Amino acid sequence: MDLKVPKLEKPKLPKITISRRQALTAAGTAVAVIAIAFIGGALLLDYTGDRQVATFGSHVAASEGDLSLVSGKISSLMRSSPDDLSVAECDAYMREFAAIADYGMGVTACHRQIVGADRVPGAYAGAQLAYVRALDNLNRAFSLWSSAAAAYDAKAYTAAKENLARADQAWKEYTAAVEDYDRELRSAEEGGWIPPV
Amino acid sequence: MEWKDVFPVLAGGLVILIVALVVKPVLLGEPIGLVSPGPAAVQKPPVYVPPAPVPSATPFPDDGAAYTRNFRWTAIDGGVQTTQVRIPEALFLAHRETPQIADPLAWGRYAIADADRPILEDLAHRIAPPAGNPEEDYFRLMNLVFFVQQIPYELDSSTDSYVEGVIPRNAVRQGGEAGYSKYPVEMLVDGRGDCEDASILMAGLLDALGYDTVLLRYPEHMALGIRMNEFNPYYAKYTPKYFAYEGKHYYYVEGTDFDWVNISADSPVRRGKPFPIGDADGTGIPGVRSGTPEIIPLHYVPTPAEYRIRPARLPAGGA
Repeated sequence: MDLKVPKLEKPKLPKITISRRQALTAAGTAVAVIAIAFIGGALLLDYTGDRQVATFGSHVAASEGDLSLVSGKISSLMRSSPDDLSVAECDAYMREFAAIADYGMGVTACHRQIVGADRVPGAYAGAQLAYVRALDNLNRAFSLWSSAAAAYDAKAYTAAKENLARADQAWKEYTAAVEDYDRELRSAEEGGWIPPV
Repeated sequence: MEWKDVFPVLAGGLVILIVALVVKPVLLGEPIGLVSPGPAAVQKPPVYVPPAPVPSATPFPDDGAAYTRNFRWTAIDGGVQTTQVRIPEALFLAHRETPQIADPLAWGRYAIADADRPILEDLAHRIAPPAGNPEEDYFRLMNLVFFVQQIPYELDSSTDSYVEGVIPRNAVRQGGEAGYSKYPVEMLVDGRGDCEDASILMAGLLDALGYDTVLLRYPEHMALGIRMNEFNPYYAKYTPKYFAYEGKHYYYVEGTDFDWVNISADSPVRRGKPFPIGDADGTGIPGVRSGTPEIIPLHYVPTPAEYRIRPARLPAGGA
């Protein structure tokens, strides 16, 4: 078979003539698009970060406010000396103690969930983790208080004493976590802006 | 510049905005638009619920059936004393029906049981009437100690220890032995008991007079500890033994026996003097002479050492 390749002509592209003015316009447009995108993005991220910190702060403030109410109840109970109470008074003291433990457990669990769900800028992640850890430890301490009160109610004083010893340890870990939180917060506030995670 | 040149710029900006405000939030599950992720579904924190008040126990009627017990004992001045104690039967039976407290640390509850208190206060004031002279306080105390020491000793496993003549059904059985801790009024009705019953009764009587006491629990014995400051009388032929608890000194007091002799070889009647405060040798139990007891406070409320909530600093710019 004798095939013959047809002779193709070179396609003729339309001739583009770009004037200097058009070139400058195109370049200017490109620069403007990039600048708008960059500045807009930066502003958006900055705005989001500030909002996240403000939200986190408001949640910590709410948590601290509720914890101060719990603290008031604890201080009031601890001021009433348990020495030389009758059996009925001892039992009433421990019922009050159990009620405070339940209140503390509820408050810490609620705020732990709220603060833990916050989205914060990377610089504040350490502070958030430390605060959540503090609430977790406090929740554990209150839970052990509650167990101690239940053991007392069952006249198992040795078990009550042991639960309180464990609660004291959890409380120390809570105090350490609050110190970590303060340090992390100071570091975040002094460390400048970091994009949100 | 013409409109056809501006249009691509606007279109590009629009695409960027759509990507930033719609596409990215949709992909990341964030709210669409210029809103921050904002708070998660905020729950209301719980409120404090005070404990429900417990109705006060109905007092046992004074005019109902009661046990009347006559006590005759020797006071420390050698004089013979007598008194009568009336205990509502319902109170006695209620104690007999109460399950035993398994944890020894809670045995102080026996001694300071609220229902027994009026009877113990009355009896304690009859054994040791209030003295006008503070120097007589020691004699009041020793009269009360001596009263309890003269109550006959009986093991928990002996049916003679119980007015019913049988071991109470709530007694704790271990091997062939029975263990039963008596409330003070049970000891008074039964008229006898073992070392822990005597210590509990003595603690209840002394507590009713305002003395600070604890129970001293040894593996094979129980005695009383009474709080005193530097008890070291010049006439004592022994070194008074005390145990420190929460920074206070509790001196050993024996509850089950006294230093006695029969008045004659053929008489069961005995005379003697109390085992003094701080003398742990009188029992003859080696573990008491040299051991360290577990200290059981009467008024016990477990309290935490750590309870202060530490305020946390708020982030700058926060609420």
